[in-house]
Amino acid sequence: MLTLDDVTKRYGTLTALDGVSLQIERGECFGLLGPNGAGKSTLMSLVAGLRAPDIGRLTLDGQPLDAAHPAVRANLGLVPQHIALYPRLSAEQNLQIFGQLYGLGRAVLRERITESLEAMQLADRRHDLVQTFSGGMQRRLNIVASLLHRPQLLLCDEPTVGVDPQSRNAIFEFLERLNREGLTIIYSTHYMEEATRLCSRIGIIDHGRIHALGTLDELLLQLPFEEEIRFPLEASTRALARQLADSGVVTESGDFYQFRPRAGYRLSGFYALTESLGLPARLFTSQRPTLEALFLHLTGRQLRE
Amino acid sequence: MRTILTLVRKDFINFFRNKAAVSLTFAVPFVLIWLFGMVFGVNRKDSGPTGIPLAVVNASANPAANRLVEALQKEKTFKLITTRKNADGTERPLREDDLTPLMRDNQFRFAVVIPADLFSEEKLGLHLKVYTNPRNEIETQLVNGILQKTIFSNVPQLLGQAVLARGRGYVGAERLDRFNQVVADNVARTFGGDAATIKQDIAQGNFGGGLIERATGGSEGETNLLGQVIRVETVQVAGQNVKSPAATRIVGGWAMQFLLFALSGAATALFYERDHGIFHRILAGPVGRAQILWSKFVYGVCIGLLQLVVLFIAGRILYGIDIEHHFGLLLVMCLFAAAACTAFGMLLASITATQEAASGLATFVILLMCAVGGAWFPVTLMPEFIQQFSKLTLVYWSMEGFSQVLWAGASFVELLPILGILGGMTAAVMAFSVWRFNRGQIFG
Repeated sequence: MLTLDDVTKRYGTLTALDGVSLQIERGECFGLLGPNGAGKSTLMSLVAGLRAPDIGRLTLDGQPLDAAHPAVRANLGLVPQHIALYPRLSAEQNLQIFGQLYGLGRAVLRERITESLEAMQLADRRHDLVQTFSGGMQRRLNIVASLLHRPQLLLCDEPTVGVDPQSRNAIFEFLERLNREGLTIIYSTHYMEEATRLCSRIGIIDHGRIHALGTLDELLLQLPFEEEIRFPLEASTRALARQLADSGVVTESGDFYQFRPRAGYRLSGFYALTESLGLPARLFTSQRPTLEALFLHLTGRQLRE
Repeated sequence: MRTILTLVRKDFINFFRNKAAVSLTFAVPFVLIWLFGMVFGVNRKDSGPTGIPLAVVNASANPAANRLVEALQKEKTFKLITTRKNADGTERPLREDDLTPLMRDNQFRFAVVIPADLFSEEKLGLHLKVYTNPRNEIETQLVNGILQKTIFSNVPQLLGQAVLARGRGYVGAERLDRFNQVVADNVARTFGGDAATIKQDIAQGNFGGGLIERATGGSEGETNLLGQVIRVETVQVAGQNVKSPAATRIVGGWAMQFLLFALSGAATALFYERDHGIFHRILAGPVGRAQILWSKFVYGVCIGLLQLVVLFIAGRILYGIDIEHHFGLLLVMCLFAAAACTAFGMLLASITATQEAASGLATFVILLMCAVGGAWFPVTLMPEFIQQFSKLTLVYWSMEGFSQVLWAGASFVELLPILGILGGMTAAVMAFSVWRFNRGQIFG
């Protein structure tokens, strides 16, 4: 459906996107995971037609995505990073304006506004001013405003920034439902939990390059270990952490150490070491590695750095 | 077009929901017009300053000196101070040595001393002493001017007495008396009247036309000597039928100032939409940058037109400015002025990076344009190079236009050159602004 072919975008001397090629299929929920400044928003703005690439080509169903083809852009919906609404207007007035800009007729618009507000649990606040909404409600309305014209491709640029857990859940459920109904979604985030929950395929982006691309399982296979081990950060475990440094990566995460073994390392060796140090087995928990670990492995830095 | 209208509608709803913006655009200018009117005495028939404290020390025994004090008392510009309170609460006449400490204490800034030697036989003219604290130059010039006018207009015999005193010094009292007798006899013989009364008038320094009028039995003596010496005939060639001249002269300047502030504020709202990602949302759809900019322009012109109409209606209600007879042309003029001001606001938004920067620059440029363009005081009072510079401002041409319509009652054809200049300014500024917008940061 959407194709990015060797796309490069520069701002002066800064290369925001560097030869990115991507193919996104219809009905897919594609996650773009990377830290701030990785190039996610630039990629989104190129797809939305807000900027033109310096090199490369973007197409939607074979049609070029650029300023010269505004009709193609009508198939897109953009959920901006900011709450792009007019606070002094009611929820309904905001939706009417954005719907009218896509040429929706009155009756259709009224019907879709009602439907969307109900789906986002905002129907009872439709006549209230947006400035009276909570942050989470504004975020939900921000998404609804991008969907009234029934786009084929929804671009969500970090749509849950500053959202409470309840609203985040409502947003996820709504997007999951839309995706099930066939809407193609590109979801950019720096929260690996969001990408893991929502996206069928994830691209890991940093410094304008896609470092890895695939389903969660495919991505995690790129790690040299299958499990990572956590144990408490305390005086008794300090010696263990020191000795493990030769066998993999040990990071401090709050009150815990996190040990990610290097390729070929056998866990039997780990347990033998703990026994020799007299550390009880109850201190240790093993878990499936996360995208955080993959990002660290691929880029050498944390997702939230 | 439908897209532009939708965006304009959105801006209007947004505007009327913003109570602060509505009051700043309509209510505040209305109140300020009323306040300025009060301050500048627009509604008063006798315009000009009133009640400036003026201390008067009269040390002369001459009855004409008392008449001078009375004349100053009648002059509305001044509030006379002639006495001072003693420590025990009693009052006494003000003395010359009181003046300096009281003026340093800022009790008053002007004082006139009529000395005992009001006239001198050695020198021609009156001897008056004026004490000033010229903290404000305009005030000082104004007070001096009115003081001189009051003396020469109301007590011309003082000047006559001064001439007599000097004459007495030259020829002696006896010969002067003889001369006065000859003149009085001749006047009485030629024009009629009592020679003794005429001589008495001459002795009091009354050389004005009143002397002859009185001699010929005129009902009232003419006392304004200057008015008789120089007769100026004024022919007003424009604005004869203007109902409220003072307000009509200045309303254009006020209106332009309010309009510029309102519309530059409206244009800088572009930054809000940029900073909140609204432009990204809109531009991601089938809407172009040009449509957004045109919608802002149309909205600005509409708001500007509305504001000008409200301001002129305020002028009609408060000061009786005649807008009914010029309504059509006034509307055309308002439209062009609003378009020029909107273009100016767009220019500010296009050359600055943030709303704060745009607002700061707007304040500076608007005040400069209003000062140079003649919104505050007449351009003709400024140095010549500034007069040339003022013609580059939209304030100047808008004021010229309003003046042509409301003061001179110009026709549409007569107004065309000004409309052409304003239209040209609007087109040039908008073209530059659009060029800047397309290369700037406003659309992200």
